[in-house]
Amino acid sequence: MSSSSGGERQQLDIEELERAEEVIEQKPPKAEAALARQEQGEKGGGWLTAAWAAPGLLFLAFYLIVPLVFIVLVSFWTYQTGAKFGFVTDWTFENYSQVFQDRVYWDNMWSSFYRSLIAVFASLLFGFPIAYFLALKVNTLRNQIALFIIALAPFWTSSLTRSIAWTFPLTGREGAINKLGDMLGLWSPDDPLIEPLSATSVTIAMVQLYILFMVTPLFFTLSQVDRTAIEAARDLGGNWWRTFREVILPQVMPGVVIGSIFVFVLTMGEYGTVRLVGGNAVTSVGTIVNSQVELAVQYPQGAASAVLLVGALIVGVFVITRFSNLREDL
Amino acid sequence: MIQALVTAATAEARPQDAIVRRPIKQKRDWAKWGLAIYFVLFLVFLYAPMILMGILSFQGPYGQLTFPFKGPMGLDWWRALIDENLPTYHAADIRIAAKNSLYLSLAAGAMVAFLSFTLSMAFRRRWRLRSDVAGFYLIMLALMTPGYLLAVGTQLFWAKLGWDTSIWKTALEAAVVWGIPFGFLVMIAVWNRYEKGVEEAARDLGADKKRTFREVTLPLVWTGIFGAFLFGFTLAWNDYDRTILFQNAATDTLPLTIGGFTFTGAIRPDLYALGTATTLFSLFVIALLLVVAGIRMRFAGRGAVHRVEEELGVAEELHVSETPEREAT
Repeated sequence: MSSSSGGERQQLDIEELERAEEVIEQKPPKAEAALARQEQGEKGGGWLTAAWAAPGLLFLAFYLIVPLVFIVLVSFWTYQTGAKFGFVTDWTFENYSQVFQDRVYWDNMWSSFYRSLIAVFASLLFGFPIAYFLALKVNTLRNQIALFIIALAPFWTSSLTRSIAWTFPLTGREGAINKLGDMLGLWSPDDPLIEPLSATSVTIAMVQLYILFMVTPLFFTLSQVDRTAIEAARDLGGNWWRTFREVILPQVMPGVVIGSIFVFVLTMGEYGTVRLVGGNAVTSVGTIVNSQVELAVQYPQGAASAVLLVGALIVGVFVITRFSNLREDL
Repeated sequence: MIQALVTAATAEARPQDAIVRRPIKQKRDWAKWGLAIYFVLFLVFLYAPMILMGILSFQGPYGQLTFPFKGPMGLDWWRALIDENLPTYHAADIRIAAKNSLYLSLAAGAMVAFLSFTLSMAFRRRWRLRSDVAGFYLIMLALMTPGYLLAVGTQLFWAKLGWDTSIWKTALEAAVVWGIPFGFLVMIAVWNRYEKGVEEAARDLGADKKRTFREVTLPLVWTGIFGAFLFGFTLAWNDYDRTILFQNAATDTLPLTIGGFTFTGAIRPDLYALGTATTLFSLFVIALLLVVAGIRMRFAGRGAVHRVEEELGVAEELHVSETPEREAT
């Protein structure tokens, strides 16, 4: 009897508690309405949002969208010598058919793509241990940040200057690497380890220039991985590889995807580095567009090449994003 | 008798009572040390070219572009950057270019800070509406458009309209377009860790919207705005691809001047001195950022919302700030 009455009281308590919780969770009607207004941006909120967004969006529309759209337009206009800027506004597919038939262009597109792909994989391969070390092996936050900033600092310096530094003092025919090889008797300047002004040199230079765009997102996603989850996986008997594959990798996939997109896009569209490190021996889509625009003043054809490059970039980014649902994972 | 039994029992050394002290095997984390060595090699890979360049810039007047270091050591190539009286050197060009670069980068930094702050204010609610997603993709597009292509498009469009292009009218804006996504992401990181309650508290205490914005919102996020400024500044300071098409001897920036020397074959160790100087300046700017952030941290104390770690997105835990005292006034 006594036990049943106790049970009753307990049940009552629970009911009361639930009711109290309901009351607590209920917000005053006024506040709720205000919140709803605020969240949906109705009644003036929308205008305020629009006012905040306006300067940036207008700026981007005028200095980003308009030029890009204009490139697409020009790529359909007719090349004519003697006309103002070398083209008239007659619609044509001539530029594209010329570019499509141009073997040199496709060779370039392919070699640019191939170089970017290697750069992406090399950055991932060599950058991942760095991010892993910083995020999971360095103990204090202070040390993590200090080491991360030391590694990140070169990103803030000019890629042109770094290209020059890469080309002449380091990998040049008389550069430090060749001197070192000569001294150790491993390779001679006539048969260098890294051929100067070559595609290999350009690819390595690109990895050197852009690897930080891979390390940074990897570092951020890795540092959000729960260390206790890793320990739990170990305690449950997972070996290193299994822990890595089943606990760590799924959580860093967004970082891998973002880093890959960065490196892919930046190396694919690269112009200055290719021109400097590769000399005249290496060409990219950027240098092709440059030669069409600056030297030959073939604006429509240059525009068509550029549009195809952007198309290739979009396809590449689309393929990369298939590996992770970014907007949900972030 | 019992006593005797006890003493007998304790006197007898039982084998299980013996305390065996084995050294505790501290498992050394070899992976950590291996990765640490790899990290050092990585830093060498990143920094070696610049350091070699710096070393070569201190060669004497017989210095060459490559090793070996031709002594005696001297500051000749550094002096060549500044002394305009030396014949065949580019000191005058460099001075003008450095001035252009500085003004341009300051302007770019200010524009990036303003635009990414205002944009982030518009999007600091959750990404929810379809227009938000469109805005997000627009900003990503700014990040991913190859700089050289953007420059070509801008040049074509302006030429078609018959407007003059120049470093100030077009190259600056192309650099700002490139800086906005970085500034925007910094600001989003700040807003993600921002406690909106303090604004409501300020309003409850009677501050109007303007005052809340000026005295509560801005002071809490200004390090983020400064971060956006620095991104804009350094990206413009180092930009080459976006400015090259708008080249004009009178308004060239430092990267354009450096590129000009390189491509016309006028490469001497003074180029190394110039490269080292611009690199050091960039590093100085980062150091400045860290110092400012550090000072800010000390003033704000432990509870501040905007510690550097949090802005970098690596904070251990979020310390939500108390309502600033200022609101009480």
